[in-house]
Amino acid sequence: MGRIEKPLRKLFDRSRPYFEKGRRMERLKPFFEATETFFLYPAIPVEKKPFIRDSLDLKRYMSIVLAALMPPFFFGIFNTGFHARNASGLSTDFLSVFGEGLIIVMPIVVVSYGVGLFWEGLFAAIRRHPISEGFLVTGLLFPLTLPPTIPLWQVAAGITFGVVIGKEVFGGTGRNLFNPALTARAFIFFAYPVQMSGERVWIAVRETAGNAVDAVTGATPLAVAALADPKARIEAVFADNGYTFQTLFFGNHIGSIGETSSLCILIGALVLIATGIGSYRIMAGGVIGALATGMLFNFFATPDLPAWFSVNPVYHLVTGGFAFGIVYMATDPVTAPGTDKSKWLYGFLIGAVAVLIRVVNPAFPEGVMLAILFMNIFSPLMEYAEMRLRIRRRIPNV
Amino acid sequence: MQMKNVSIKKKIGIHVAGGPSHAVEKGPAITTVAAMPDRIPFIKPRLLVKKGDAVTIGTPLFEDKGNPKLRFLSPGGGTVAEIGYGHRRAITRIVIKTGKTEAHESFDPIDEKGLKNLDRDSLIETLMDRGLWPLIRSLPYRGIASPDEKPSSLWVSLDSADPFHVPSHLYLKDKEALFLFGIRILEKLCHPVYVCETEGAPVRSGEIAPLVTHRAPAIYPAEDPGVLLYHTKKSPDENLAWFTKGQDVLLLAEGLKTGRYPTSRIIAVSASGNGNGGGNTAASRCVDTRLGAPLSSLLPNPETASNLRWIAGGIFQGYTTDPDGYMGFYETALTLIEEAADPELFGFLRPGLFKPTASRAFLYALHKKHFTAKADLRGEERACINCGKCEQVCPVDIMVQFTYKCIYAGEIEEALMHGLLDCVECGLCSYVCPAKIELAETLKTTRQDYYQDRI
Ligand code: SF4
Ligand code: SF4
Repeated sequence: MGRIEKPLRKLFDRSRPYFEKGRRMERLKPFFEATETFFLYPAIPVEKKPFIRDSLDLKRYMSIVLAALMPPFFFGIFNTGFHARNASGLSTDFLSVFGEGLIIVMPIVVVSYGVGLFWEGLFAAIRRHPISEGFLVTGLLFPLTLPPTIPLWQVAAGITFGVVIGKEVFGGTGRNLFNPALTARAFIFFAYPVQMSGERVWIAVRETAGNAVDAVTGATPLAVAALADPKARIEAVFADNGYTFQTLFFGNHIGSIGETSSLCILIGALVLIATGIGSYRIMAGGVIGALATGMLFNFFATPDLPAWFSVNPVYHLVTGGFAFGIVYMATDPVTAPGTDKSKWLYGFLIGAVAVLIRVVNPAFPEGVMLAILFMNIFSPLMEYAEMRLRIRRRIPNV
Repeated sequence: MQMKNVSIKKKIGIHVAGGPSHAVEKGPAITTVAAMPDRIPFIKPRLLVKKGDAVTIGTPLFEDKGNPKLRFLSPGGGTVAEIGYGHRRAITRIVIKTGKTEAHESFDPIDEKGLKNLDRDSLIETLMDRGLWPLIRSLPYRGIASPDEKPSSLWVSLDSADPFHVPSHLYLKDKEALFLFGIRILEKLCHPVYVCETEGAPVRSGEIAPLVTHRAPAIYPAEDPGVLLYHTKKSPDENLAWFTKGQDVLLLAEGLKTGRYPTSRIIAVSASGNGNGGGNTAASRCVDTRLGAPLSSLLPNPETASNLRWIAGGIFQGYTTDPDGYMGFYETALTLIEEAADPELFGFLRPGLFKPTASRAFLYALHKKHFTAKADLRGEERACINCGKCEQVCPVDIMVQFTYKCIYAGEIEEALMHGLLDCVECGLCSYVCPAKIELAETLKTTRQDYYQDRI
């Protein structure tokens, strides 16, 4: 053992007895274990055959998802800081922008993790389960889907709903039907619509003495599009408002903290695919589904129909939370089907339904969230159908 | 007959360092041997000897309470030195201290002509009498074959399914004629007899080559008889098949031909990373020894390996054993691997250039070099996250996570539909599972429970 491991080991060994059965802090054992194994990766002897095991475990699995979330996370911090300072008329050099972003974003992340961990720990203690690593992902996914001005108490309410209703009532990690982060997001969206949409929520303005802007408005690309005249082309409307395809792709515009940059999300997607942690089938299925549905609408587009009908389908991929949803939320293995063909279908339908909602109901542009939650419901069914088909192909052995 | 290539699409590369060198060494003289009744599935042993009894090679030591004709003979001549009991007084070992000269029980030698004149029933009876019948086992449950069964085929795997095993060209050397005789015996018991070799095996001699009917890819566990059967069967009638291993064919043949209970065994002794970080270590070799040899006799310096994990019967399918244990009836491999060592600071965040994995989640995936095996769970048990890794590696296409859930919910019928009985107990599903769920073990015990309730 190294120089650091030894004293740590000692520290944990000395504290462990307090968390044993019958001792005062017995109930906090899941916390103790989570902390211990975070620092000191356990070496547990294999009891049953096979006597060697793969190095991949859930800690690694979830760490890779977190790593894949880093590009949109850091970009989100920068972007939030930039728009806040820009709107407040403050200097926009990199350091102060990033610092500003940290000040705005970190409290949201900390509340999400803190409150979420509390519930997670509570249920772990009651059920005497270990704390599941999946929470580390939920706790970061959720804040990245929020507008930067979200009141912290709503963050707390959202993550509470997500963890308790989205996951624990189903029996905890592995049994949940819905993606907890998405459940949290949907809850906030419907419970506190004012803070989740409109023109005032996207820029976290810094109120300084010298600058008396009381509210800075800014419309996200989706909001701009919603107001567009049906006769106009969405691409043109976007461009008029400064949202060229490039802007949309690189993501330096206002929007939810982590959702704006398709480029960063693409990098995350590549990490997930390269490591085999995120299903490329779901992602590719989603992209194909969105493009195909977009083209189908193009086909029916007339000047009387909403402008979204005629948009170049590629725009669907870079606007709103589509990319973020399909890369990070739809690929959650627990709530997606576990079988390969169903993954294609699941992804495809998410893409299709997301575009459908966006095009047909412009008042409700954020379709991907609902699309995923909706397909979460059907995921066990698809899985089951594929399973039946595959079983039927087997030569029975009973 | 045209040789068939068995194609198995799933490929999982597990590259464990420390395989045995391809040379056979004569093991040292042995003073104790043992029979290990609890390593033989499904039998209920009834002792026929007691401590202190004098026995010869071939004296019945115990029989199966369910079928007293099924007898297990002594692999050594001398006195019964110890009878070991385990959990619920199951007999774990019968140790025999061998005398200076060991006497043999003698039966009538049977040669090719004698074999021709035997009918199937008397052959079976002869094999039972001579303690050779247990070498023939039955799919899907993998217990000793029952003479009443009607097997669709009989499979001989020349090479073992485990990554560390005695290559067939080593044990077949100079025994080609004996092997041929063994196959003739099997052909009397069941038709057809299939012999499978592994891709890339050295060219066979003139006697062996025409016997080989199938060739399997050189990936674990392609040469397991269950995998071969699964990938070749055409109808449910073929589910019941018999199998035996290449070395066991030699035992069968020797037992009939010489009229003596055969006791020779070549054991693959492998040590992964014994001292120098993997590779062929001094301890990795093939040892020509006897049935039921003490494990410590298989290594030059067993004391130096006392801190390692001793596994008899293969790294995937064997048993953890004490260094003072013995090789069981079916086992042909002794593998020594490192124990789980010390916890690692922020282990899950490391790039993992040397963290062996079948996934792509560590930098190891870039080179996939042979690694030092460790009996480390490499994580903690968690709830299933439905990642699908288990079903991706299953050689017989079981959707393991769903089958596991069926078992968990008590829906055995459903689990059977999923292919529970096709499971070959290879352990790959447990190997890859990131939630560290004991899938293979659960499936195996469920199969066995199901089998025993049905009787
Ligand atoms: S279920 Fe597991 S142990 Fe059984 S054959 Fe499949 S991978 Fe091997
Ligand atoms: S590998 Fe483990 S966690 Fe993944 S689906 Fe199979 S049982 Fe579940």
